[in-house]
Amino acid sequence: MTTPAADENLPELDLSWMNRRGPWDTHAKPGKYGLTLADIQVGEYGETPQQSQNLTGRSRGSPPRRAAMRIGGYTVRTKSDIWVENASFLYEEALQRQWSSATDVPWETIKPLPDDVEQAQCQLATFLTEVEFVAGDVPARWISVTTPDYFEARQVLLAQVMDESRHMDVFRKRALANGGGLMKATGATAGFVGGIDLSRDFTEMSSRLHISGEGAVLTIFRMGELMAYNDAEKAIYRLCAQDEARHVAFGVMHLRYMSQKAPERREEIDTYLDEAEGGMLTDAANPAGRLTQTSESLCILLGGGRDKFDEGFRKIVAIRRRQLQEYKKRVISAGFGERFENGRSRLNELMAQTAA
Amino acid sequence: MAKSKPSKKTTGTPPPLEIPEPKFNWMNQSRQWGTRVSPGKSGLTLDSLNVGIYGEVPPRWTDQGRNPRGAIPVKGALPIGYSVTEKIGLWAPMAAELYEEAIQRRWAPATDVPWASIQALPDDVETAICQVCTEIAQYANVDIEVLTNWQHRMSYGYHEVKQFLATASLDAARRYEAFRKRALTNGGGLGLEPMDQVNRFLLESRGGWTETVAGIALVRGLFLSTMCEYLFRHSYNDAERAIYSYVIQDVSRLIAYGVDHLRYCMARDDEKTSTVATMIAIGLGLMARDLRDPVLREALAIVFGGGIAGARREGMSVFLDFLEDFRERHVALRRWLNLPGDAMSMPRAFRPREPRQAR
Repeated sequence: MTTPAADENLPELDLSWMNRRGPWDTHAKPGKYGLTLADIQVGEYGETPQQSQNLTGRSRGSPPRRAAMRIGGYTVRTKSDIWVENASFLYEEALQRQWSSATDVPWETIKPLPDDVEQAQCQLATFLTEVEFVAGDVPARWISVTTPDYFEARQVLLAQVMDESRHMDVFRKRALANGGGLMKATGATAGFVGGIDLSRDFTEMSSRLHISGEGAVLTIFRMGELMAYNDAEKAIYRLCAQDEARHVAFGVMHLRYMSQKAPERREEIDTYLDEAEGGMLTDAANPAGRLTQTSESLCILLGGGRDKFDEGFRKIVAIRRRQLQEYKKRVISAGFGERFENGRSRLNELMAQTAA
Repeated sequence: MAKSKPSKKTTGTPPPLEIPEPKFNWMNQSRQWGTRVSPGKSGLTLDSLNVGIYGEVPPRWTDQGRNPRGAIPVKGALPIGYSVTEKIGLWAPMAAELYEEAIQRRWAPATDVPWASIQALPDDVETAICQVCTEIAQYANVDIEVLTNWQHRMSYGYHEVKQFLATASLDAARRYEAFRKRALTNGGGLGLEPMDQVNRFLLESRGGWTETVAGIALVRGLFLSTMCEYLFRHSYNDAERAIYSYVIQDVSRLIAYGVDHLRYCMARDDEKTSTVATMIAIGLGLMARDLRDPVLREALAIVFGGGIAGARREGMSVFLDFLEDFRERHVALRRWLNLPGDAMSMPRAFRPREPRQAR
């Protein structure tokens, strides 16, 4: 393109940049769910490199400039390290299902509860306020070092950070809304080896966070009807469950992609799963695990009071079994089912220990 | 495990269950029992929870775990490694309010933008819009990387700020998405990658969050917000108007947090005023250098001027108006923050034209 006729004192336009652009004549069209991320995966713009050479942070498909500085500093530059095939779907669903803990929870339905039940509810809420944002802090750290060439996966993680922020605040709100208060922290997400925070690899982190950690919490949220005493608590568990389900789906789909595209890492992933299974009943991050302050509070809630602890305990055993069964389904779905047949998994042993 | 007692008889066939004797040693442990916060007209907001000890935000948060503010901390937990541990380093009194506002004003580019309103545009205009979209998407990418890089370093005791930043990073994700979608939906595509020193400046501002905030809010944020206002006025369809108006409100919250934090911080630490002023001077200097690159400048002039034909006179004149508006807003905020410097101390690119042309 060229500049129009020269005009007195105004500088000429350069316009040479107009001839340097990405693939042109792109017509992404909205579908029945609007114009989604999947809809803009058209032509070269939908092509995701197996190995990203993008060190300047440019948008995928944008022509590079040779003089651009390498300001990206990305450590996640291999597609199989972070990719999920259904990222667009998960992200768009996350945006559509954003909710507000201030206005979408019918707080007025909360009525005074017996002191033992309120204490149990507040202890559980304290625990969840404490642990939910590990799933905000840690994905955030990984987002900051992931190349924008894999932005679809990154978008899902950004939505997760937001979800976890809401979870942290909704349980704080519950603890302070009904004549109770926060109780005792657990240190469940401290900086120990094998903890989610200290993971040095994204898939290692995801297997701990999404598959075992959030998977266990998802089972509990899905059974929220059993431990809710009013419509507000039912709404909280239901809304959190739908968020958590997306996060778990991310983990499952990522492991599946990894197992298919980077089979050389399967053995390593199995080691992470060994570690996850080892902590499923003993890890303090599982509220139905063996840490007394969370498991006992759950028993009170599930049973209906301190004097119905035994009834609650029977239910928590059922929850533990369900957690293990659902974990097994996820791992099979992710492509690592053989560990349940070749004797590597400890799941059967764990099933026998659910009542301990 | 404590002593066990046999299970009571149940119907059905499950094997007998050994039920452990509960300890209940966690019960009756609270630093402030009897708290009952009721929802107000905006629902049960984060800010409304700050009652009694739960509203006490200490100047330094020494806990290195995720102990919720007001809970009884656990002893002996291994540290996670938070590095922003002082209130002065991140606090903004209105963070909780901004958090709730962000949630109430959520939007989805897929469905809240009337994409069908976009009709074919002349090739020069489409090319220019796509170039602008490419630049703004990369701004958003930088915001994402900067915000998420800091968020996980901030102590749990200042959860309101961490939570607000979660909304701000999702806002940036939406910006990234919306502008990419716009570029790919109307017969165009992405433009040239920007050679942007301000991007580098923001990414490499790793020394302190307050200094980073100065760059995000008073340099990049204000520039982007002002640019989107001008783009809104010169938009070509309802879809673009929707995108710009949503982005303006999102970026305004980030600026509001930044200004609120800078004010809080500088009121308590005199030295911060000079480091913030230095940071801003560097940022503006780099921005002035960026504007020497013709790509964004000319793309905006074409959009403002309705095509190449109108770019050189009308379009460039609007572009200069835009820079003047940016300068005036920037100077007004500096004045409000008691930061030294006025319009004449800014780089030449932002200094007043004389006289301002009436059109």
